[in-house]
Amino acid sequence: MGRVRYLMVLLAVTLTLVVANYWFVQGVQGADFRQLAENNRLREVPIQAPRGTILEREGRSLAENIPSYNLRIDPSGTADLSSSLEFAGEILGVDGSTLGARVAAQPDGPVRQTALVAEDLSLGQVARFESVGLEHPEFAIDVSQQRLYRHREQVAHVLGYLGEVNPAELQEKSNPYQAGEQIGRRGIERQYQSLLRGERGERVVIVDSRGRPVGDYQEEQPRAGENLRLTIDLDLQQAAQRALAGRVGAVVVLDPRDGEVLVMASSPSYDPNLFARRLDADAWTNLIEAPHQPLQNRTLQNVHSPGSLFKVVMALGGLEEGIIVPETRVFCSGAKKYFGRRSRCWKRAGHGWVNLREAIKKSCDIYFYDLGQQMGIDAIGRHARRFGLGEATGIDLLGEKSGLVPSREWSRTVRGHPWYPGETISVAIGQGPILTSPLQIAVLMSAAANAGPRPIPWLGEEPSEHRAPAEYASRDWQLVREALRAVVMDSDGTGRSAAVPGLTIAGKTGTVQVVSQQTWVKSEDLPYAERDHAWFASYAPVEDPRWVVVVFVEHGGAGSTAAAPIAKEVYEAILAKSPDLGHLPAS
Amino acid sequence: MKRSSRSLPISGIFRRPDTGPFGRLSTARWSVLLTAVVISAIGVGTVGSASSELGAGYFSRQLVWVGLGLVVSFVVLALDYQRLASLALPIYGSGIFLLVVVLIPGVGRVRGGARSWLGLGSFQVQPSEIAKLTTVLLLARFLAGIAGDRLRTREILVAVAIVALPMGLIMLQPDLGSAAMFVPMLSGMIWVAGVRWRFVVAAGLLGLCIGGAVWTFGLQDYQRDRVLTFMSPERDPHGAGYQARQSKIAVGSGALLGRGYEQGTQSQLRFLPARHTDFIFAVLAEEWGFLGVLVVLGLYGTFFFNAIEVAARARDRLGILLVVGVLATLAFHVLYNTAMVIGRAPITGIPLPFLSYGGSFTLFCFAACGLILNVDYRRYVNR
Repeated sequence: MGRVRYLMVLLAVTLTLVVANYWFVQGVQGADFRQLAENNRLREVPIQAPRGTILEREGRSLAENIPSYNLRIDPSGTADLSSSLEFAGEILGVDGSTLGARVAAQPDGPVRQTALVAEDLSLGQVARFESVGLEHPEFAIDVSQQRLYRHREQVAHVLGYLGEVNPAELQEKSNPYQAGEQIGRRGIERQYQSLLRGERGERVVIVDSRGRPVGDYQEEQPRAGENLRLTIDLDLQQAAQRALAGRVGAVVVLDPRDGEVLVMASSPSYDPNLFARRLDADAWTNLIEAPHQPLQNRTLQNVHSPGSLFKVVMALGGLEEGIIVPETRVFCSGAKKYFGRRSRCWKRAGHGWVNLREAIKKSCDIYFYDLGQQMGIDAIGRHARRFGLGEATGIDLLGEKSGLVPSREWSRTVRGHPWYPGETISVAIGQGPILTSPLQIAVLMSAAANAGPRPIPWLGEEPSEHRAPAEYASRDWQLVREALRAVVMDSDGTGRSAAVPGLTIAGKTGTVQVVSQQTWVKSEDLPYAERDHAWFASYAPVEDPRWVVVVFVEHGGAGSTAAAPIAKEVYEAILAKSPDLGHLPAS
Repeated sequence: MKRSSRSLPISGIFRRPDTGPFGRLSTARWSVLLTAVVISAIGVGTVGSASSELGAGYFSRQLVWVGLGLVVSFVVLALDYQRLASLALPIYGSGIFLLVVVLIPGVGRVRGGARSWLGLGSFQVQPSEIAKLTTVLLLARFLAGIAGDRLRTREILVAVAIVALPMGLIMLQPDLGSAAMFVPMLSGMIWVAGVRWRFVVAAGLLGLCIGGAVWTFGLQDYQRDRVLTFMSPERDPHGAGYQARQSKIAVGSGALLGRGYEQGTQSQLRFLPARHTDFIFAVLAEEWGFLGVLVVLGLYGTFFFNAIEVAARARDRLGILLVVGVLATLAFHVLYNTAMVIGRAPITGIPLPFLSYGGSFTLFCFAACGLILNVDYRRYVNR
């Protein structure tokens, strides 16, 4: 039976083939498979870096992290998951089945160990779960960081809030985040996201085939986010927000010397702590649908006509263009015809003969109608831009509106019709197609306070660039600044209601007609949506300006009665903080 | 019917040298048993590592099985194979009986989806393992009785029928892997008994047809799935492809020198399925690397070549056929299992002789070993 020998050959050949195959898998591809085995057993678990805290200028906390206690369950640690959850539900005061639905909905993470049952437990609840640790080993309490905005509505718009990174962002090529991470969505939290975030660490865990951790492999500590000190002054901010309560509007306080933003108040406001927890759909809808859009930062996201504040620009422009001299006088009878249309002064009886100083102090419209008619819209626009109107101020916050400074070309190309000369008359007193944000007005007022130099407002990091100053002859500046001082300090100035004993203030009121009125009607008698917007822009002390205070009240009525008193409250808060100001020479 | 000289299996020595009682024993090829014991020892150690997180039970039980296996091999050695062959029909019959009994619901126990276990108290056996031996015995006896060195069609059909009966019963369990083991047994034995080349070709074609028919009608969905997944493991990395992939990773990550005893992450962290049974070789390859694979395959090679030597010098046709029958079965187990572990063959429940954990299978392997020694020990005329 020689065929037995064939079997020998067959076996030799097949065994050699087997050996060759094992050589290929182990000898040739061994390193690759070793890597695959490592990938199998090692799981990277991120360790979130604590987010940097945000402080106001004196070091008081505006945004910080507090521990939040979450209840987790290891489903394999209990024989009866639903009765375990029922038990947890009793302590938490919720239905066990809703907890069950939540646990069931959770996808397996990189390390499947526990599922989240509930977030943000009270210390009492934590203590109860800790005390039943022996009977219910399946439960575990873990601590995560939650953002706390101590001052709630009062600093909401500056700080902004956090939100979970969304799937679309995770898809982006350069996305540095991980699913579930909280990132800055608005305000400073968003602007300084990369600074505040820090760098996450990583724990490499050894897991078994069911994803349960069986040991640690290595650990890389996270780098905490940097703390950020803002220019905001909490006392003034709170005073401004209080003064705005119940109104729709904004207050900006700048240090005109370097652009530090001391106050950025916007009303209505919201509680950013709402976003620190999982924001439910109802809460979100409430915020979105609330009247007057509380999420809007009205200091820079809403633009309106500046009203009579614009007369500062007109006066300096007129002087430089040589259209007027300080002594130029205009007769105000209360109304005058321009381009065939009668334009009214706000004062029905008229101001009589007024020079530039008086025209500013009393906010005479006829004087500036005359001036505007002679300057023409393009010259007006040129001077407006010298103060930074029509462009973003460059503040370190996203979403700033640049407003509008009109010109004939703009009218042709954007509006599609020629500029009507009658519109120039409106723009001359800051009405019509000219739009500014309170922050832009604060910069304009800073230029007035500095007699030219125009800062870039900032909150977190001082900008390195500079803006061209609003350059005018110092004698012109002197005249205008003197007139602004008279607005508040003189007993017959329109801004008299902002005056505070012990402080010299210069300022200008503004009242913006929302609906064109053919007759003199008191704003208070109109429906809310048709009432005038009120402005007041000011700086103090006049001798050495350290504060620019701008107030805007939407549909508030007249600047002198609705806006100036709010500024007064802010100045009182300033005085309360700086008693040395009382020693400054008052006049 | 004239017996051709070529069909005479006698390979040289006709009379045993007079060497006394121990000398008599020393003439058998003990290296067959020795290699089996060495592989079993490696197997017990590997089972211990593969089941380390399951407790010491598997290690000690496998140790007991190997000890029992040695006893069984000596029992089989003690019974004259020719005497055994004379009882082949009742023995075969009882094997078939067990295969029928195991199919009865309530009697046979289901494990891994197949009703393939018979319980005798706490002791459980797989009748299919017993049937492998009883079938070899009857087939050898039938083929040995045929004169001439070329089988006729009728004789081949009878041989096929002898195998088809237990095979069919096992497929009813259904345990496709065990059933498939009868094919190499039959092929090896009729090849040695003398089959014409044209039969080989015809059988190949028939095999393809049957294969197609089985694929279409005879396979359960999960079985088809396994084959498809084998063809392209990426098809289903978490389901049927998971085992194949994890096993290959285990083997490959062992690289040249292995990760060390109980240091294989694939097996210790339970990524590897059926670690102590069908995929024991992956554990070994992960822990001892290519070096360990070479040693174990070398031991198997030694075992098989010694067995073939036994067949070559056996005293009669019956002896040759018995050795070839068990050899072909064992060798196919080894080749198929080692190929399956690195994804070169579809996954099916075929354990590795002497290495895999399992009572019935270990006993079968040692019984087969005893049968080989039996044939060698009785190769002399003067018993």
